[in-house]
Amino acid sequence: MAILPGITYTLSSLAYAAAIGLLSMGLTLTYLTTRIPNFAHATIGMIGSIVMLLLIDRVFYGSQSWLIYLLGPLAGGVAAAAFSVLMYRAILKPLADRGNSIIGLMIATLAVDIILLNILTLILNVVPGENIPKLIGANIIGFQPKIRVAGVVVDSYTIILPVAALVLATVFHLFLTRTSFGVAMRATIENPDLASAMGVNVNLVYMVSWAFSGFLAGAAGALMAFAFKGVDPAVSALVIVTVFAGSIVGGLTSIYWGLIGGVLVGLAEKLGTTIINNMYRAFLVPSLGLPNISLVNYEKVMSLGLVIIVLLYAPQGLAGVDWESILRRIKRARGGE
Amino acid sequence: MVNWWIFSDSFLITILAYIVVSISLNLEAGFTGVPNFGKHLFVFLGAFAAQGIGVRIAAWLYQVVNPEAASQALKEVGRLVPGAHWSSIVEAAADTGANRIIVNSYLKPFVVENLAVEIALLFIVLGVTILLAMIFGLLASYAALRLREEYLAILLLSFSELMVMVVFYQTESLNGGNKGLWAITFTHNPIRFALIGSAVLAVLAFIYAERLANSPMGRAMRAVRDDEIAASVFGRDIASIRLKAIIAASVLAALAGFFYTQNNASATAITFNRVIWTFLPWAMIILGGMANNKGAVIGTIVFLIGKRIFEYYQEPIGKLLHIQAELVGSMLPNILIGILILLVLYLRPQGIIPEHMSKTIEFSKLAEEVVGKENAREGSSAQREED
Amino acid sequence: MSVVVKAEKVNAGYGRFHIIFDVDVEARRGEILVIVGPNGSGKSTLLKTIFGLTRIYSGRILFEERDITREPPHVRAKLGIAYLPQTGNIFTELSVKENLKMACYGLEASVAEERVREVLEFFPFLWYKLSSKAKTLSGGQRQLLAMAMALIRRPKLLMFDEPTAGLAPKAAKEVVEKILWLREELGKTIIWVEQNARLALEKGDNAILMVSGRVAYRGPARELLADRELGRKYLGVKG
Repeated sequence: MAILPGITYTLSSLAYAAAIGLLSMGLTLTYLTTRIPNFAHATIGMIGSIVMLLLIDRVFYGSQSWLIYLLGPLAGGVAAAAFSVLMYRAILKPLADRGNSIIGLMIATLAVDIILLNILTLILNVVPGENIPKLIGANIIGFQPKIRVAGVVVDSYTIILPVAALVLATVFHLFLTRTSFGVAMRATIENPDLASAMGVNVNLVYMVSWAFSGFLAGAAGALMAFAFKGVDPAVSALVIVTVFAGSIVGGLTSIYWGLIGGVLVGLAEKLGTTIINNMYRAFLVPSLGLPNISLVNYEKVMSLGLVIIVLLYAPQGLAGVDWESILRRIKRARGGE
Repeated sequence: MVNWWIFSDSFLITILAYIVVSISLNLEAGFTGVPNFGKHLFVFLGAFAAQGIGVRIAAWLYQVVNPEAASQALKEVGRLVPGAHWSSIVEAAADTGANRIIVNSYLKPFVVENLAVEIALLFIVLGVTILLAMIFGLLASYAALRLREEYLAILLLSFSELMVMVVFYQTESLNGGNKGLWAITFTHNPIRFALIGSAVLAVLAFIYAERLANSPMGRAMRAVRDDEIAASVFGRDIASIRLKAIIAASVLAALAGFFYTQNNASATAITFNRVIWTFLPWAMIILGGMANNKGAVIGTIVFLIGKRIFEYYQEPIGKLLHIQAELVGSMLPNILIGILILLVLYLRPQGIIPEHMSKTIEFSKLAEEVVGKENAREGSSAQREED
Repeated sequence: MSVVVKAEKVNAGYGRFHIIFDVDVEARRGEILVIVGPNGSGKSTLLKTIFGLTRIYSGRILFEERDITREPPHVRAKLGIAYLPQTGNIFTELSVKENLKMACYGLEASVAEERVREVLEFFPFLWYKLSSKAKTLSGGQRQLLAMAMALIRRPKLLMFDEPTAGLAPKAAKEVVEKILWLREELGKTIIWVEQNARLALEKGDNAILMVSGRVAYRGPARELLADRELGRKYLGVKG
């Protein structure tokens, strides 16, 4: 039995990891600015999936146009960003101003999650599809443009998603470093008092951070709509666990590490579990007589295991690791040879 | 037995189970400040003890006591699950039909008709419930003593989600996975057993929580929850109390899950999800007021009756809103509950019945009471130095 | 000399914690007012109160004869008050250039450019550090960067909270020289809270000694330095 998974599976794992990376990045961003761990984040991403589903049903049905990869994430991202800002401005900020604790705010995000989840389910149940008869649980994988890689037909969304993640992360990085509002955002994250003393409108910064976070989630959700074997908002209940895992592994202190943490956790869940499963069945089952069961269902054990290790032994996550000194040590070791 | 308007036996048992879970969550979140966002796992443990574990033990006992009948049962099941054998009866029972036959036609009569077996099995299952709850409670408190509250909340939520949704839900051989498993029930009338059992449990839970809340230690815990200086003064003394509270809360929640499952007679892991057994109890204690046992009870009752009325009248409401009745029953209450919670957090961050202030005392007095005057002096000078 | 800032019978603190009591302070244009006192006596709280970061229970604060008691910090900053806390006075995760850019936030681009050039002339070492992250600067350099950032906004009053704390003697000396230079060359008014009482009192014009949230002495800095009893009791100054 081959230990390494095939190209199709590898690509879809990469796509999943990229989507989790984008979600973890956004989650880290709003946590950094407003200190609220947002349990509704994955469901906000589902808004993007549903926009994608509706776009395919109403506009792109049967066309297989590559334009879907531009319009889908854009429209899904904007819709999710709008909801995200609304959620912060109309619900979370007033609650914080009334003196709710961080736990109260977490409950509030759970409440928003439940409201949104049920509204989305209701929409998919009540709104009739024009071309896809039943929108709830609709499988749209067949509606993506086809592409060949090394002679194999692969799902094109699996190529697009990692590219989109890189593009979005780069654009966001340029925004943070090249524009004065972006610099103000970083300044606010570090020291909101000092930033406001410099004349920065800190509340505006917070709202923009929620908008970005929502946009990244919506864009990821739109592209991931192809990956679900049926678009169902309830998927977010499991995705959110992985997203938090990615953010915590990243350290919740840097959006870039949030992205990297999300990608790593996503890869560990998909590729890691599959490789371990293949090795288990190829070596341990025959030699030790262990039960011949599939381990791939336990992918979430992987992400949670990483979270537990990080929380208990390196609470600052990957962002807290002193990479420079590690690099220096490696260099020194090389020099010594 | 009870059957009037919205009230039925199973509704009463649901209320009692939720009362216990709310009190237990209140012990953790309200008094010790442990934001347990993974309550659903602890409730599920009680259900798991009654099905995944209880069925296995009953099946083993059955084979020992009554090998002929066991082989007869196996033959009958063999038609549904070819190649089934007794040692892996639960795995075989993942087939719903086979599971129903084995549990309902063979194991239950066997248990109910032998008093000695029944009592022994009851003790074993309750023991397993408590043991599982204590193990997971210990794990939770290990994390609770080390992490900041938001990290702890995330960890507990993720951990419970993982255990329930992945380990229990996707592993058929553990407890039937997504098909669920019939549970071992006790007495000829398991519903009455569940009703009485959960009522007794609810009363005991309330008395325990009240006594803890009004003891010096309970007040100390609240001080720790609210005040970092107090936390630093009491740190060590509090760690053991916190541990105790978390384990007690875990056991209570698991027992509630056990009695709840007695009424349903079967359980599927996914029905113990984070909305139903974590978010709803949170909603109830927020409604009733944190750190307030009476509030938790009243909040639970008010909440469940409100929700039930909604489900009861789903047909007319559905007609009124032009939505399918089943969506009214399943979706609208959740949306309304979410909105209600946001409103309560906004209007009364302290809940309908606020925390009882008269029973708490001054920080300095409290300090004297709990750790003696030495620490008290330290505590108040620490406060003064806060420049 | 006209009074730049004046606090009248101010009571302030954080939430329930009442920390300073009936404090009267005034600083005149172009003077260095030194505030000394033992640990926890409310020196830092007094600075924060003038900048609007505490809760004021009673009394008033006037800045150039305007009542600013109820104004939020960013308004006070606009009026010309700069507050340089002991730590957290620069953005350590940003580059020096970005720090200066933040100090110009809201200024017109042409004005901003000119002001940055101006402060770079005052603090030439910053030229070589423009693209380094501020956290790579030494303690003294950080204080100087904070000073540069404050100067970009052309404040009339600069308030320093223990600017030399934790610095090596050489760096501390450089920071102190720069503070004196601010007054001599730019004519700024300075309020200087200092733990190292002897150093500050030697350089300052007037001084206030705070004890337990109240003013225990007010007068010329050198007289306080010469007062053996007060010095020994509160400041660890050996006679």
